[in-house]
Amino acid sequence: MPLVIFVDDSETALASTRMVTNSMPIEVKQYTEAQVALAEIKAGMIPDLIITDLNMPVMNGLEFLQALRDNPSTNRTPTLMLTTETKAELKQQGKALGLTGWIVKPFNPAQLKQAITRVLRLPA
Amino acid sequence: MLILDSVDSLLEHIEVVQKDVISLSNDSLLKMSSYIEKNQLEVDEDISTALQYQDIITQQLMATIEAIESMRSSIKRFSHAFESDENLAQDSMKKLQEKLNTTLAEAKDKKNRFSGKTSENEADDEIEFF
Repeated sequence: MPLVIFVDDSETALASTRMVTNSMPIEVKQYTEAQVALAEIKAGMIPDLIITDLNMPVMNGLEFLQALRDNPSTNRTPTLMLTTETKAELKQQGKALGLTGWIVKPFNPAQLKQAITRVLRLPA
Repeated sequence: MLILDSVDSLLEHIEVVQKDVISLSNDSLLKMSSYIEKNQLEVDEDISTALQYQDIITQQLMATIEAIESMRSSIKRFSHAFESDENLAQDSMKKLQEKLNTTLAEAKDKKNRFSGKTSENEADDEIEFF
């Protein structure tokens, strides 16, 4: 099964995404700190899709994305930003770093499911 | 200054209450989501949105807590300057006002940034692919 990792400093936000992904044919790993996810990636974990929050302490979503792009095993891994932020300049920064898409919270569960299905090319 | 001590105490109280509210709200949502997951209940859009509001509430309260901490720090600096040299009070008062205005502007910016789709003037419902 494809591996999808979620990064969000909010446990409650992660719980909300779990309710969507529980019924999907994917393996899910969740992290409350981007630097911990990054360490596991550098240690050999290869996610098929990364979904990350933007505003997080220590390492924010864009810094995490930059680190993913600097890492050979994830420099082309599809990545979605899941955030309350809607500023065009932030989206532009993400796009410049090869971000796949931008989802604004609170997300629509059906649309999040569709986005994951589309990016991973799962059967609809 | 006695009045500033009272203001500081009031701000401290508000901060404590807000932190308690965040903690209770987090605990409440985690209990509900645990129940939903354990019983494999299907979550529709309305319930999902309601659960996600909790995260937005936390972010909004955290932003105001940051503003309160910044205000308390500025007030303490002013109070200290005033006590050590009353002649500096006028200058310190000006700096305090500037700092409080900056804090308010930052707090308002965070209110908009952390509202997501709950803000009426923000974002449509579609996921944006690049």
